[in-house]
Amino acid sequence: MKKTLLILTRNPLSLLGLILVTIIVLAAIFADFITPFPEHVGAVVDFTNFNQPPHWPNIFGTDLVGRDLFTRVVYAYRVSLILAAVVLIIAVPIGVSIGLTAGYLGGWTEYGLMRITDIFLSIPPLVLAMSIMGLLEPTLTNGMIAVTAMWWPWYTRLVYSITRSEREEGYLLAAEVIGASKLHIMFREILPNCVPSIVTKMTLDFGFVILIASSLSFLGLGVQPPTPDLGSMVADGAKYLPDSWWLTVFPGLAILFAVFGFNLIGDALREILGGDQ
Amino acid sequence: MPAIVRILARRLATSLVVLIGVSILIFAIARIIPGDPARIALGPNATADAVAVLRDKLHLNDSIIAQYGYFIADLFHGDLGISLYTNRAVTRDIADFLPATLELVFVSGLMMVMLGIPLGVLSARYRGTWIDHTIRLVTLLGVSAPGFVWAVILMLVFAYFVPIFPVAGRLSDGSGFQPITGFLLFDTLISGNIRAFGDALWHLILPAFALALSGIGQAARLVRSNMVETYNKPYIEMVEAYGFSARRIANRYAFRPSLIPSLTIIGLDFAAMLGNAFLVESVYAWPGLSKYGVAVILRKDLNAIVGTVLIISAMFLIVNIIVDLLVSVVNPRIRLSERPA
Amino acid sequence: MTAPTLKIENLKLGFKLWSGMIEVLHGISLHIGKGERVALVGESGSGKSVTARIVLGMLQEMSSARISGGLTFEGIDLDKLKPRDRHHLRGTRMSMIFQDPTSSLNPVYPIFTQFREVLARANPAISDAEARMKAITALADVSINEPERVLDSYAFQLSGGMNQRVMIAMALANNPSLLLADEPGTALDVTVQAQTLKLMSDLVEQHGTSVLFISHNLGVVREFADRVYVIYKGRIVEQGLTKQLFSNPQHPYTRALLAAVPRITGGGIPDIAEDTAGFHDPLIAHPGASEKELLS
Repeated sequence: MKKTLLILTRNPLSLLGLILVTIIVLAAIFADFITPFPEHVGAVVDFTNFNQPPHWPNIFGTDLVGRDLFTRVVYAYRVSLILAAVVLIIAVPIGVSIGLTAGYLGGWTEYGLMRITDIFLSIPPLVLAMSIMGLLEPTLTNGMIAVTAMWWPWYTRLVYSITRSEREEGYLLAAEVIGASKLHIMFREILPNCVPSIVTKMTLDFGFVILIASSLSFLGLGVQPPTPDLGSMVADGAKYLPDSWWLTVFPGLAILFAVFGFNLIGDALREILGGDQ
Repeated sequence: MPAIVRILARRLATSLVVLIGVSILIFAIARIIPGDPARIALGPNATADAVAVLRDKLHLNDSIIAQYGYFIADLFHGDLGISLYTNRAVTRDIADFLPATLELVFVSGLMMVMLGIPLGVLSARYRGTWIDHTIRLVTLLGVSAPGFVWAVILMLVFAYFVPIFPVAGRLSDGSGFQPITGFLLFDTLISGNIRAFGDALWHLILPAFALALSGIGQAARLVRSNMVETYNKPYIEMVEAYGFSARRIANRYAFRPSLIPSLTIIGLDFAAMLGNAFLVESVYAWPGLSKYGVAVILRKDLNAIVGTVLIISAMFLIVNIIVDLLVSVVNPRIRLSERPA
Repeated sequence: MTAPTLKIENLKLGFKLWSGMIEVLHGISLHIGKGERVALVGESGSGKSVTARIVLGMLQEMSSARISGGLTFEGIDLDKLKPRDRHHLRGTRMSMIFQDPTSSLNPVYPIFTQFREVLARANPAISDAEARMKAITALADVSINEPERVLDSYAFQLSGGMNQRVMIAMALANNPSLLLADEPGTALDVTVQAQTLKLMSDLVEQHGTSVLFISHNLGVVREFADRVYVIYKGRIVEQGLTKQLFSNPQHPYTRALLAAVPRITGGGIPDIAEDTAGFHDPLIAHPGASEKELLS
C-alpha cells in the first residue's frame, strides 16, 4: 500500500491525478470553510449581483439568481463524491458476489446469473439509469439506486472472467481436496486474486460514476434544485450560451477535472497492480 | 455448416433470450412504480370514470403477468401501444425520431473507429516516447468528460468564438429540403442534392465529434493497451529479428492480433453511444430520440418508455452481433474451428 | 585466413533503471568462423539470449540499454554501419530461430503470408508466384510432405514439430551466413526436438551457414556444436573445442553444470547450487582454443 503510493508520486501523471483528487476531496470536506458564500447552497437570491462574469469575490461568476458559482461547484463536488462512494459501496459487493458465484459454481447457476447480467448490460448504461430514474422520483437516493442498478453488472463480468480462469488452478484443487467449503474457496481463495483488478476498476469508476450521475442530472433526471449539482448547472447554463459562458464552462470543467484525476490514478494503478480488462 | 453461419445463429438465439429478458425487466420496472399510470396519464383533473376507462383499456386491472402477455402479443403485431404524451403510436414516434439519432451515432462511431484505432496504434508503436505520452494524455481527457461537456465546449469554441460550424439543428433554415427516410446524409445523396448534403454534413460534424470524443479515447486506450501486450509476444520478436519494418510490424503483425480483444469492447462503446446521444442532442437541439425520450420519462409515459428502451436495446444487440461476426472474420481460430468455440 | 563470420569483443551490456545501472554482460568475447557451429551455454539469466539480440541489433533499440564493445560481422564493424544498412542484415544475412515455434508464428496470418514477407526481405520485388515456389522448395527441404497445405495453414493448425520445420525453413530461406538459434525447440517434445535439430544440423552443413547455438542443454550441445563457450552471470568462464571441454572440464562452474546434466539427453534446466565460490574464477581457455590463438 505504502509502496504503491510511493510509485504513484514518482510518475508525474499519477502525481497530477493524486493532487487533483486530493484538492477535490479536501475542498468537498471543508466546503463550509473554504467557500466565500456557504449560504448560497440553498435557495438564495441576490438580484443585485446576478449573472455576473468572474470577478472578485465571485471567482467563477454568479448564476442567474445571484449565487456564487464557485461555492456551488464546491458543494456539488460534495454531493457527487458522496453519491459515487455510496454507489460503489453497494454495487461492488453485489457485482463481485454474483461474479464469484457464477464463475465458481458453473452449470445452471452460471448460465442463469450471467444471462441476467447480460440483460442489464444490453441496455445502454445511461438509458437504463434514465428509465429507472424517470419512473422513480428524481431524488438523490433514487439517483444512487438507478446508478447502482446499472453499475454492478460490470463487476460481475470482471470477477466472473477472473474466477473462470482461476477455476482450474492447482491451489483451488488443493483447497477442494482438503475439504474447504465453497464459500471459503470463493471468498478466501479466489477473491484475493481479484482484489487488484477490483481496486483499479473502482478508482476509475469513482470518476465514471460522477460522470454518469452528472449526465442524469443534466437531463433533468437527477438531484433536484436547490441542491447544487454539476450536471444540472451545465444544463441550466447551456440556454445562456455564449454570453453567460461561465455558467456552463466552470461546472463542466469541474466534472472534467474530477473524472480526469481519478482516471490518472486508476491508469497508474492498472500498471502497478495489473489490468482490469 | 460454415462457422460464420453457426456463430450468427447462436448469437441471434442468445440475443432473443436477452431481449425477452430486457422486456420483462423494463416492463417490471414500469409496473412496480408507485402511482396509477392511468391517473398520471390523464392528470389530476380527469374524472374517476375517465381514469377507470383508461385503466380498462390499458389492462391495468389484470394481473401483471396477463399485462405482460398483452404487451408481448401486441409487440408481435408491431404494436408498442399509444404514447400518452403524443397520443400517437409509440412505433410511429420512434420511427420519426430514431433516424436522426442513428445518423448521429453512426457518424460518431465512424469517427471513433477512424480516429481512435489509429491513435491507439500510433501510441503503441511509439510506446514510452513523447508521442505516446501525448496521445495518452489527450485520450484520457477525452474519456474524462461526459458528452454534454464536450458539446458545450466545442459549441462555444467552434460555433461562437470561431464560428466555423452551425450552432444547432440538422439543416440550415430555409434549405427547404424534404427528408425521405429521415437519414439526411442518405436522403440528400439519393436526391442528388449536393448542397443539402454538404449542409447536413456541416451540421452533423460538431455534435458527432462531441459524442465521439469519449469513444475515440476509449478505443485508442484499448487498442494501445492490447497492442502493447501483443508487442511482448514471441511472434513479434520473431518478425523484429527478421527485420520487418517497424511500421509494418505495427500496422499488421501487432495490430491484427490485438484487434480481436479490442473489437468487442469497441462494439460496446459504440452501442453506449446510443445512450450518450441523449446528452449531445439536447445541447445542439438535435431532433432525435433524446427530447422524446426525456419527455416521456419525465411524464411517466409507460408505453413510450418501454418502447424506447426496447428499441434501443435491440439496436445495441444488433451492434454486438455485427461485432461478433467481425471478430470471427478477424480471428481465424474461430473462423476455422469445426466445433463451437 | 578469412574473417570470422561473427566476432564479439569485450561486449558489455547494462540497463539503466530507476534504481541505477545494472550490468548484465561484463565484457564477453567470442567468435564464430565461417561454417562453424558454436554453442553458448549457460543457465537462464546468464546473458546468452541478450547476446543474440545484440548481434541482431534489437537491444540497441531499447532506450534503457547501454552497450559497448566490438561487433564484427564478416569483417565489417557493425557499429560503423548506418542503422539502415545494419537493419538490412536482419532476416537476410543473419536470421534467428526461437524457443517455441508455435508462439513465434503470428496467429492471425497463414504461414505463407509470413514466409513471403521473409523472402521479400532479400528480394523486395518478389512476386507472389515466385515466393510460393521458393517457399514450397524450402519446406520440402525440411521434409514437409504437403508444403502447399502447410503454407495455407495457420500455426495453431499445425503440430509443434511442423512449426519448427517451418521456422527452420524460414530461417534458411534467404541463405544467411549466420544463424542464431536461441534454445531451438526447447518447448517441443524431446524426440521432436532431436529430430528437428538433426534436420537443422544437416541443412546448415549443406548451406555452409555459421551457427551460434544458444542452449542450456549440454547433451544437445555435445552432439551439435564444434566449439563451446560457457557463460556464467555475464562472463565467459570456459571455452574450448566440444571434445576438450566435455572430456576435461576445467572451470568449477562447467564441472557443476556437467555433473548436473541428467544422464538422458534432453533433460530440463540443470539444478545447480547458487553461486559456489569457484564459479567466479577467471576464464579458462582450453589449449589452442583461446580467442587469441584461434583468431591469429
